Amino acid sequence: MQLFIQSLITGILLGGVYAAYSAGFSLIFGVMGVVNIFHGELVMLGAFVTYWMFTLLKIDPFLTIPFSLVSMFVFGFLVQRYVINRVVEAPPMISYILTFGIHLIIAYSALWVWTADFRTVTTSYSGFNADIGGIIIPYARLATFGLALIVVVGLYILLYKSDVGRAIQATAQDKEVARLMGVKVHRIYAITFGIGAAITGVAGSLIATYFIIYPQMGLPYTIIAFCVVVLGGMGYIPGALWGGLVLGVVQSLTATYLNSGLSGAFSFILLFVMLIVRPAGIVGKGIVE
Amino acid sequence: MNRKLAALIAAAVVLVLLIVPNLGLTGYMVRLLAIIFLWIGKTGCWNMVAGYTGYIDFGAVGYFGIGSYVTALLMAKAQVPFLVSILIGGIVSGLIAIPIGLPTLRLKGAYFGIATLAFAEAMKQIILEFDKTAGVNFFDGPHGITLPMGPGNLFFYYLGLVVMLAVVGITYWIERSKFGYGLRAIREAEHAAELSGVDTLKAKIGAYVLSAFFLGVIGGIEAYWLTYITPHMVFDVLITIQMVVMALLGGIGTLFGPVVGAAFLTIIYEVLHRDFQYTYAIIVGFIVVVVVILMPKGIVGTLNTKLGKHRVKQAQ
Repeated sequence: MQLFIQSLITGILLGGVYAAYSAGFSLIFGVMGVVNIFHGELVMLGAFVTYWMFTLLKIDPFLTIPFSLVSMFVFGFLVQRYVINRVVEAPPMISYILTFGIHLIIAYSALWVWTADFRTVTTSYSGFNADIGGIIIPYARLATFGLALIVVVGLYILLYKSDVGRAIQATAQDKEVARLMGVKVHRIYAITFGIGAAITGVAGSLIATYFIIYPQMGLPYTIIAFCVVVLGGMGYIPGALWGGLVLGVVQSLTATYLNSGLSGAFSFILLFVMLIVRPAGIVGKGIVE
Repeated sequence: MNRKLAALIAAAVVLVLLIVPNLGLTGYMVRLLAIIFLWIGKTGCWNMVAGYTGYIDFGAVGYFGIGSYVTALLMAKAQVPFLVSILIGGIVSGLIAIPIGLPTLRLKGAYFGIATLAFAEAMKQIILEFDKTAGVNFFDGPHGITLPMGPGNLFFYYLGLVVMLAVVGITYWIERSKFGYGLRAIREAEHAAELSGVDTLKAKIGAYVLSAFFLGVIGGIEAYWLTYITPHMVFDVLITIQMVVMALLGGIGTLFGPVVGAAFLTIIYEVLHRDFQYTYAIIVGFIVVVVVILMPKGIVGTLNTKLGKHRVKQAQ
């Protein structure tokens, strides 16, 4: 029983991180219909911002979060403004191929500059755990989970309560009408991509505090973000939370009771079945073409 | 260009390719050409589905890997002759494509892409973990399978040539046949195609199975050429991605697009990869971005449009 609870809690904590880095993917797809293949590279860049600030300037990893937030916002804004906006009206296939090209450029430039070394951010408090009746909860993961929730809730509030958020939603629902109402659609796209990249960069910073990071880590993260977003419903932001938690728990339980390698196979089988049986996601609010 | 002339040129090219290895072509060139033929084959397979039906398959490497594994298992564990093994590899791939295609080909756009990607990744993970989970010694998980030593590069040159001609030939047939018109109608407006009497699911499955069969055969050929395969090698998502990029660069949904794209990129790879390991990927990334923005129809597609305009002017 204790093993089960431990595995469940590990899964939930993992799921929170999944949710944090998948919410941006869902946002970008929901607003622009762009399937962003270089999403994992945004995680990687956020993680490296934290790594370099920690290694070179000795800044606590949690204090680097504002820097990765701002730098990734600017990066995302510029990429959308100058590159993706040029094809955003084209068929969706074009956007995947374009973002795949950007994936290659970022991932291999990073590999070239930073080499394939595995790196970690080890602080004085890494490895401290809370022990509640034999259930181990690492503090770094707990803090990450809390911040991940804040990111998702913050994004939700931004979308539903602010003017920019309303403009983003209007654009997502009907871009022609939004344009007639005076929304600068291409500008909104750039801001949306910026926000998506910023929260993904923050998730990357959080990940750097307890996972190994390396320049080619991106693609698996993109693939997991696909799974999470399909489980939760494409384009439906709170769905990222559901999808993340379900996937985290499923992976943790398969790793505990079957075999850790199989957890990958299980995720993909789950994804495959989900797409066929219920493409709108667990809560059924995703966009279905 | 009239039809007779085109047929003549095609026959001449094939003849030259048949003779050329015997005219003192270096071993390196034979190997490079064989690699190009096999990439044209793979990209052509991807193009049959994606180019003509508009369903972007991100899991094409799944069928390549299945073909590789079937061939490797048959040859290494049952001593089945090579040609029989690759044929069975192709058939198994094609058969697996039916239950995978039936549900996924109902999905639209990005959903189809993600589902097929999930299929290919799941296949890799299952082969990686099967032995450990079931407690047997069958796929040998991450350790991979060693095949019997094969013949030299010349054998693979001719085999690659045959497969390439088969894939290009079938694409030519798709371009001209009623089946192909059905596929293109699906790409342009699936619902309208269905209303005009195209059995859309049957047509899509047909193209998908055909493509899976050839990918399986090519997977078998490459496994034998490499003599050693692991799930990470033959289910590598980068293989799918390479097919996508080659087709895009040459021109998706055109007969010669995959030929031009695959040849061009393979040569760039050969030139750059030895000296600049990472710059190859970076340069390919830039090529993709530039092509998508400036000529989304690819090299052949853009040329066709230009020549087409010319023809209209002449007619006037």
